[in-house]
Amino acid sequence: MSQLTHEIREAARGLLRDGKAQVVIGFEPGSLPLRSRPCFIRKEKDIERLVWSGFCETNVARYLPKRKGKVAIVAKGCDSRALVELIKENQITRDQLVIIGVPCEGMIDRRRIEAEMGHELIVEAEEKEGSLVVRTADSEKILDRKEYLFEHCKACTHPTPVVYDVLLGQPPGPQEAIDAFSDVDAFSALDREERWAYLVQETSKCIRCYACRNACPMCYCPECFVDATQPQWVGKSTGLSDTIIFHLVRAFHLAGRCVACGACEQACPMGVDIRKLNRKLQKDVIDLFHHEAGCSLDEVAPLATFRLDDPEPFMVEP
Amino acid sequence: MSKGDTKLLKKERLEGFIESLLNDHVVFGPVKKNDLRLLDRIESVNDISLDRGNTMNSAKNALFPQTERLFAYCHGEKVVEIDAPSAEGRGLVLFGVRPCDARGLLLLDKVFGGSLKDPYYCDKREKTVVIGVACDKPDPKCFCLAMGGGPCSAEGSDLLLLDLGDQYLVKAGSPKGKTLLKNKAFQKIDKEALARADLVEKEAEKSMNQAVLAQAAIGEGLEKHLETLFDDPIWDDITESCLGCGICTYLCPTCHCFDILDETGQSTGERIRIWDSCQFPLFTHQASGVNPRPSSKERFRQRIMHKLCYLPQNGNLSGCVGCGRCVTECPVNLDIREVIQKISAREAK
Amino acid sequence: MENPYVPFLMRIENVILETEDRKIKTFVLAFVSEEDRKRFAYVPGQFAEVSVFGKGEAPFGMASTPTIPDHLEFSVSTIGVVTGALHNLKKGDIVGVRGPLGNGYPLDAFKEKNLLLIGGGFGFSTLRSLTNYILHDQNRQAFKNLTIIYGARKPGLLLYKADLAAWGKRHDLNLHLTVDQEADGWKGHVGLVPNITRAVAPSPKNTFAVVCGPPVMMKFTLPVLKDLGFNDEDILFSLEMRMKCGIGKCGRCNVGSKYVCSDGPVFSQSELSKLTGEAHF
Repeated sequence: MSQLTHEIREAARGLLRDGKAQVVIGFEPGSLPLRSRPCFIRKEKDIERLVWSGFCETNVARYLPKRKGKVAIVAKGCDSRALVELIKENQITRDQLVIIGVPCEGMIDRRRIEAEMGHELIVEAEEKEGSLVVRTADSEKILDRKEYLFEHCKACTHPTPVVYDVLLGQPPGPQEAIDAFSDVDAFSALDREERWAYLVQETSKCIRCYACRNACPMCYCPECFVDATQPQWVGKSTGLSDTIIFHLVRAFHLAGRCVACGACEQACPMGVDIRKLNRKLQKDVIDLFHHEAGCSLDEVAPLATFRLDDPEPFMVEP
Repeated sequence: MSKGDTKLLKKERLEGFIESLLNDHVVFGPVKKNDLRLLDRIESVNDISLDRGNTMNSAKNALFPQTERLFAYCHGEKVVEIDAPSAEGRGLVLFGVRPCDARGLLLLDKVFGGSLKDPYYCDKREKTVVIGVACDKPDPKCFCLAMGGGPCSAEGSDLLLLDLGDQYLVKAGSPKGKTLLKNKAFQKIDKEALARADLVEKEAEKSMNQAVLAQAAIGEGLEKHLETLFDDPIWDDITESCLGCGICTYLCPTCHCFDILDETGQSTGERIRIWDSCQFPLFTHQASGVNPRPSSKERFRQRIMHKLCYLPQNGNLSGCVGCGRCVTECPVNLDIREVIQKISAREAK
Repeated sequence: MENPYVPFLMRIENVILETEDRKIKTFVLAFVSEEDRKRFAYVPGQFAEVSVFGKGEAPFGMASTPTIPDHLEFSVSTIGVVTGALHNLKKGDIVGVRGPLGNGYPLDAFKEKNLLLIGGGFGFSTLRSLTNYILHDQNRQAFKNLTIIYGARKPGLLLYKADLAAWGKRHDLNLHLTVDQEADGWKGHVGLVPNITRAVAPSPKNTFAVVCGPPVMMKFTLPVLKDLGFNDEDILFSLEMRMKCGIGKCGRCNVGSKYVCSDGPVFSQSELSKLTGEAHF
């Protein structure tokens, strides 16, 4: 059992025992190799279910909006950023939360591991000092863990939680400088036709299952714009025009709020490059408003306020 | 097994056989697309990928498309004209369908057929030939055996191809298949091939994850047990992590729920149907505001009840064919096999 | 192959404003095609899907009686996209109709029986159809005593006021109208439908009770009927669920293993008590 698994269990045990939380939201092993999944622990006897691994990819902040009572939550960097935004948007109060912060070494893209092992049954996957040792019935491969992280984990700028009540694990080392938007720049430099063709190519894969939306911690609207009928904003079929509008509008609804956790892409069964639009808007928000979502409980989201020095002349021109 | 029901197809003849089908049919087959394997229209034999494993989408896509026009209309001053589509022209071949998906079609046949036929599905279905490919190497996620199917089952296929190494054993699963077997591409069966096929089938079944099969086993009385436990708090526990997306229903070979909508311009438009999901919040939402399934708990429970209780009660096949897609693709790994196990083990209060 | 998804056309002949809040209108429709008119045959309790092209379709109980052929009537409460659009239509406009759908009331079983019809608000539509069917000269003799209990929140919200007035003058039925609260000039009962049912205390002997109304009304009427001695097989409910196809294919309107559109909407309490599913009322 990894050290972090042990620490998470002890933290959770103490909180439940002392009545400081009614439920601990964390991760337990999944029913398939390489899977972990969210779990809700309410009793001390269930503490042993909690684990930590490189497959704890779900953003569990997603379970918080409008939740009642005291909640302890195991949060990676991106999860904690979502918590910051949810608190600012009044979906949960800071007082309700006990944030068990876990510094994240990045989450592993299991689909790539499965493909790497030829879709044979994986009997064991062990994370060992920067390596991932993967075993099937008759083969074993030692993979470079970093190589198989999700793209968004490779480009992560906040692996350590930004807000927490307790921070587990080792204090993180100095962060490598990452140019999180180099590919956004490269994409923006393409011809308009090429960019459009790429968008069409990606959204053509979409089956409108809304897993991206439902996995996103910031998509908590009781009625999503997709479901509005009076008036109807967007059609519900898999027609290209409607599907592109869905992704475009959702990206705009997340502008200034998206915390780059990648839950959307992780959830998508069809491999749609959902985050391309989100990341372009993230870059725009940094460039225009010098703001990154989920980093400070005091900063208001730029699209939820205005300042006199906003680059929106139509609003502030005398 | 009667004469004419089983033949052999040398692997080098497969291409020619498929090409002959392409001549006068619309052919769907498994293709590699966007890092996935999908069941899609093929224009040439080279498009086909017969790698191990299943397609992300299922055979239902070909007969029950996600978006389908029911009819077009135009309405002028006090006048409406409706333009309903007539039956499709060419026959349809679904090639490379795995036994689980082929069985799934049998359930869809019952839903869309019956005394009142759905012409959009039935017209295509009448003209469809299903050429299945058996799973000599089932995927780790598969549990068809626990659901009354099997990796080499011909149920639902007109023809089933079983890989014997240098050739295929070809089994007819229907009268349509028997007629197809008269094609010159096929050769007479011999004892060795039959024995080898038997071995392949046994190996395939043995290689499946036995623990999972035991877990998913539908014991007698599961229906009754599900009924008794309908209001049991176990559902709160089972469904707590459900995101309420539509992945399980959309990838499932037997889920068939749909919505009907008008999409309209100024005076012309179309009535279309699109897939819908019992997992979506508006699925049972009434205009008055009443919703008998207000949270993901009721909605997740409905899916399980529909598949494993209501469909069997109505005399239909079980609603789950054990393909495993919902298990691997659920973003939070909600596992129908575990649900079966938990319900089966739960004491009714 | 016949296509059950394509509606036939009907023309609006008349629009009757039913309620003082202007929220419920009855549409009187005529068949555009002679062939459709000849072919359409329904029984009270069935419903149809009515289309406003460009907006969509919605299910409505047949408010007309098959004893008056050539026209169909649907009462529509403006509540959403399709009903809102319908309310904006006028005489001469064209709508689509798919039907008749559903199982309808079991008229054969009703023969030689007393009938107790209990309706609330807008749910009274199909009971009006059933009443006018029973009261028709050719049919009245086949059925025994007819008792109707019908309630609305206020007198101005009662539907079919002309029918109610005509029925009130007849001697071959007992009509009990009720409103939730006292109102100026109101001489009928005052009280909720379940309570009035209890007060009227109809006998269960040789009687079918047919109940149609808002879920909460049906829910509280059931125990009253059981207290009065009605058996489960003699209590019928007409249920409502969100519907789309209306023919048991799209999978959404089920109560347990039964589809309200094709196995219902009329179910006996003995059938309903055997169904597992979300509470239907």
